[in-house]
Order: sequence, then C-alpha cells, then structure tokens
Amino acid sequence: MERDRRQFLKTSGIVLSIAVAGDVLLLSPASAHAAGLPYQVLSADEVSTLEALAEALVPGAREAGVAQYIDKQLAAAPRDNLLMLKYLGVSPGDFTGFYRGGLSAAGQLAKLRFDRPWSSLDTSQASILLADMAADQAKDWNGPPASFFHFVIRSDACDVVYGTEAGFGRIDIPYMAHIEPPRAW
Amino acid sequence: MVDYAQKAGSEDSFDVVIVGSGAAGSVIAAQAARAGKRTLLLEAGPARQLSDLASSQLWARKLKWAGAPVGEEGNLRIGHVFNAGWGSGGSALHHYAVWPRLHENDFKVKSQYGRGMDWPLEYRDLRPYYDRIQAEVGLSGDARAEKWRPPGDDYPMAPLPVFAQGRVIGKGFAALGMATAPIPLAVNSTPYKGRKACLYDGWCDAGCPIGALANPLVTYLAWALEAGAELRNNATVTRVLHDSSGRKATGVEYCDAAGNRHRVNAGTVVLAAFAVQNARLLLASASDRYPRGLANSNDLVGRFLMTHPAHYIYGLFAEETQPHLGPTGGQLISHDRYLDKAKGQAYGSYQWIIATAAKPNDLLGMANTRPDIYGPALDPFMRRAAKHFGNMVFVGEDLPLEENRITLGAAKDEYGVPLAKTVHNVTAPTDALCEQALAEGKAVFKAAGADEPWNGPRFGMHIFGGTVMGADPKTSVTDAFGRCHELDNLYVAGPGVFPGSGAVNPTFTIHALALRTAERLLG
Repeated sequence: MERDRRQFLKTSGIVLSIAVAGDVLLLSPASAHAAGLPYQVLSADEVSTLEALAEALVPGAREAGVAQYIDKQLAAAPRDNLLMLKYLGVSPGDFTGFYRGGLSAAGQLAKLRFDRPWSSLDTSQASILLADMAADQAKDWNGPPASFFHFVIRSDACDVVYGTEAGFGRIDIPYMAHIEPPRAW
Repeated sequence: MVDYAQKAGSEDSFDVVIVGSGAAGSVIAAQAARAGKRTLLLEAGPARQLSDLASSQLWARKLKWAGAPVGEEGNLRIGHVFNAGWGSGGSALHHYAVWPRLHENDFKVKSQYGRGMDWPLEYRDLRPYYDRIQAEVGLSGDARAEKWRPPGDDYPMAPLPVFAQGRVIGKGFAALGMATAPIPLAVNSTPYKGRKACLYDGWCDAGCPIGALANPLVTYLAWALEAGAELRNNATVTRVLHDSSGRKATGVEYCDAAGNRHRVNAGTVVLAAFAVQNARLLLASASDRYPRGLANSNDLVGRFLMTHPAHYIYGLFAEETQPHLGPTGGQLISHDRYLDKAKGQAYGSYQWIIATAAKPNDLLGMANTRPDIYGPALDPFMRRAAKHFGNMVFVGEDLPLEENRITLGAAKDEYGVPLAKTVHNVTAPTDALCEQALAEGKAVFKAAGADEPWNGPRFGMHIFGGTVMGADPKTSVTDAFGRCHELDNLYVAGPGVFPGSGAVNPTFTIHALALRTAERLLG
C-alpha cells in the first residue's frame, strides 16, 4: 500500500519529503500547500512573491513546487544544499540573505510601480517588471543585482519544472536514470 | 622554532600520508600501498559510494566543492565550486573523462614562443606514463583519426559511437576544412577489466555508478584500498608539520567531523587537495622557519594561478540531434588550432570539444543557454531544443601570470584556518584568442546548418598552478617530480604543479604526473 502511494506520488509529479513532528511525510507540492504545512525559512509574504515571480519566469513553477524547493534547501545544512546558487559565487551561508534581499526588492518594485504585490500583477505588468529586472533598469532596486536575481530565480524554477523525471517527460526527453534520485530534491 | 616531530612507531604513523583522495592522491596511494608502504589518505569531504551517484543534475551538486569558501576576483574567475569536488574521489568523481594528452609544444612555451614558463620535463618524459595509465585505466578513442596526436600507444578500446548531435556539428567542421576525431575518453566503449561499457545516457557529471567512466571509486582509489591503504573521510588537514631543520616534513594535523584535532606522523607527505587548497595549506602552515608559508621562501606559493578560458557555442538545427545522448564530455574533438600557438595578436592553443550531452536544466543545461527567454516563450524553446539543440565548447590556453594568485584572507574556517582568496585576470593575448575562437565556432555552426548560433559567457574551466614545478628553485615551488624544493619529503600532486595550462582537459596528465611522482618518492 505504502509502495503504491509512493509510486502514485512519483508518477503524478514531484515528491516532497517533509518532516512534521518527528515523522517524515511524502507529499506532492499541491498536497503540501493544501495541508497548510509551514515553511521553515521563508515567510508567507516571501513565498507569495517567490511563487508569482517564478511562475512569471517559468510557467509551471508554482505547481512544480519552487517555493518548497527553495525553502527546503535554505533550511538544510550548507553542505547539503542543492541550489545552483552555489556555483555562482555566493557562499551557502549567505543564501538566505540573498533570497530575502531579492524577494524584498522585487516586492518593493511591484509596489512602487503598480501599487500591488506580485501575486496581484497581471501578465503584462509582470512582464514589464521582469524586463526591467533583466536589464538592471528596475528603479530604486535595493537587493542583489536585479539581473542576477532574475537569472537565479529563473534557474531555480527551471530546476523544478524541467530538471526532474517529470520535467524531462514534459519536453519528451527520456530520463534514463542509472540510479533514480531518492526524491526529486 | 616549532618542532612537531613525535616518537616514531606511535599508532598514527604512516610511511606516506596523502592529503586528498582525488585523481592525483589516489594514483600515489595505490602505488604506495602496492609497494607495501603504510599509506593514509585524508579526505576533507564525506565518503562516497557508487550507489550515491543518483542520476540528477540537482543531486549532482552534492559532488561539488562544499568545504571552506574560496573568495574569487578578476575578469575570469576560477569557478572553484563548480570545478572542485567534495568527497571521496574529489573532482574526478564528477569529471567528464575527456582525456587528451598535452602536446609536445606545451612543454617549452617560453623557449619556443617567449610566453609563460617552460616545464622542467618534456613530452617524451611523460609519454611512458600516459601509455601506462591508459593501459591500466582503459581509454576509448581513435588514435589515427587524431592527426594532431603526439606519439603514444593506440587506445585500448574503440571510440564511443557518434550520435546525431556529433554528426550534425561535424559537418560544419568538414565544410570549413577542419578535422575532427572521436574524443579520447576514459569511458569504456566495451567492458574493460571487469568494468562495464557505457550506456550513453548523458549522466556522467552526476557520477557514473556503473563504473564505465574511470572515476577514482572504480580505479586508483579502489585499487589503493584493495592494496591496504587507509582512507579517512571528513578529515580536514589544517597544517603540515616539519622538523627543526625545516628540511623534513614530519606529518600533518587534521580535524575530524566533530572538530577533534589529530596529529599523524609521516615519512612522506603528499599534498593532493587540488590547486587552491594545496597552496592554502602551505601558506597556512607558516612557522618560524617559514614565516611566509611552508616551502615559500621565494614567495611563489599561490602564484601563477590559471584556468582555461572557455566559451560554449550553441545552435538549433533542422535535423533532430538527440542532444541528451552520449557522454557529458562530448563526442568529437578538434585540435586543428592547437599546434601553432602564435596567432597574431592572440596567443595560445585551443581545442573544440563537440556535442556534449545536454540536459534541460542546471548551469550548463539548455534552459540556461538562453536566459533572455522566459515566460510563455520558454516552453516552446525548450521543446524545440529538446529535439534540435547542438553545442560545443572552446577550451583555450591560459598564460601563467605571477599576479594571478591564491592568498590567505583574514576570515577563518571552522577549524581556524584562514580562507583562501583568489584573483585571476586574463590579458589581451588570451582575450584575443577567445574572440578568434568565438568567430570560428559560430562559422562552424552556420556551416553545419544552425539558423542563429549564439554563445555563452566566458567562464573558467579547470584550475591550475599555485605550486608550479620548475628546474630552478628561485622560480618554482617544486621540482619536476612535484617535490618541494625546500623540503626533502614534501610533495605536491595535481594540476597545481602545472607551470602551463596547455589547452586540454587535465585529468589524464594529472594521472601521468602522479604516477611519475609516486615512482620517485617510492624510490
């Protein structure tokens, strides 16, 4: 029975391994969201901004669990971190500050430009802000370099949308694992 | 004066103590253990097993450097986290197994071209070690197709097959009159000495759990352990110790995972912890006798830091390319621009590594080749790329510059060792080399039928120098065998001893040099 449930979760998308009250639950991102399980590092506002930003960059990122992915990595020991940011000249000890700083700056940008949070922007408004960030033209941006933050969030979103077995399948690339990863991340 | 010499015969005394269990350390450990020497490998990272090597670009990030942070500055940063490894096998555990030899003209660049530094040995000195390593490990390739190849034994295995991506891009080279050959790969095209043949699924950089790729877990590290060497993981060496004369290393200090400090006595000490950490450890081992750092009276430890300048060329082709198939390292190679290093305003050799297996995500994945595509346009691009993507990478020669260096910063790691800082800049001749190659690469892709080829940013591939070898103790840190000029039994192994980068992937040369070092230190 347990094996069937695991198999269902695997084939239905992404599996999250979440520790709750000393037990480990295997949940899909949607299930984790529906269950209202708390994030370990990111605040509700940060999650809201992150999901909207990542979804605008890489459609499907919210459902694929981008916020859960980043939150889980930030909560892990630095040496166990799987974020691509480790390749980009930022030390794992500074990761949380990097994401917090970028999300705060992005939230401020949306507020200053359109007087609303990212989650309430329409598609064209989000596109304008993303273009400004990519070109480092975001007015009054106060965070890590905007174009760099744009690149990192896009990469994280690509990791969860395209970097798993389900993600490979989405674009018809056979995964062909020698050893399947113990979980998506 | 500090004299850390301890009584001989204590429990923690070894004939040979090796810092680092990557390619170089494993070769020396295997030779020492086979010779009956009590041999200890101290590895800062965790233990690794083949069963740990999950096929995932995300999980593969665990294999990359996760030790003390390394500061990076300059117009071409060395990319330490991406290039270095973490755990048993070091960076060779995630390396791509592209194993060309250095060329004869790489060894006398100062004499021949007035640039850089001469090696204290020549190709003919190293050739027997290349030949012995390739016979022991097993290489796949086509020696005759490599018209540029220096003298050497034929490869023991036929080349790996060329898939659609390689065939498509190869047409572009042919159209411009340039030669290509199958890449010499330390990947089995057929079963070899009990190891399986490759399945061509493109997961090499996540670590090859079937043993088709010659990572240390299935070659020299395994053979070292079989021969009786001991491997201690999570053992971070903090200092190399010496006697009162300063001519003899007596052992090392290291910290275990709990932070407990240990001392090990050694008849011979070998530093094989990769270029940056070797230099860092020597500098951090300063003493009354060596106030600038161990073996550093000439202030050259840390200098001549190098990395290969590299650029990817990308394109989308009308044909289906099956870009996910084949080795991560690539399918074809071209050294047509290797043999003449003088190129007008540009200087240096370069190679093309063609048709590397591509995954959708990660730093080198298809999505990140076009960071300007996002939103609703991304998925159509990814779907097209999944079928029609092609890529190749330019690997250029770097010049050894004294001002490119590794130093110690004020901040310290959890064990009290100062962190390394690095600065690496390329100058005009190298910059011009890169620009020449970029133009050529795009021309090749256009000739191959790519509609609008594009290139990625310049990045640092591989790391060299910091403890360079040379004939003159005034201008180098070690002799031609990696022995420090100032200490009779302290050796350095790995790419840190290279006095020049050449323009080929270094792992084969690291093995060959390490075998040569092992034979010298074992007498």
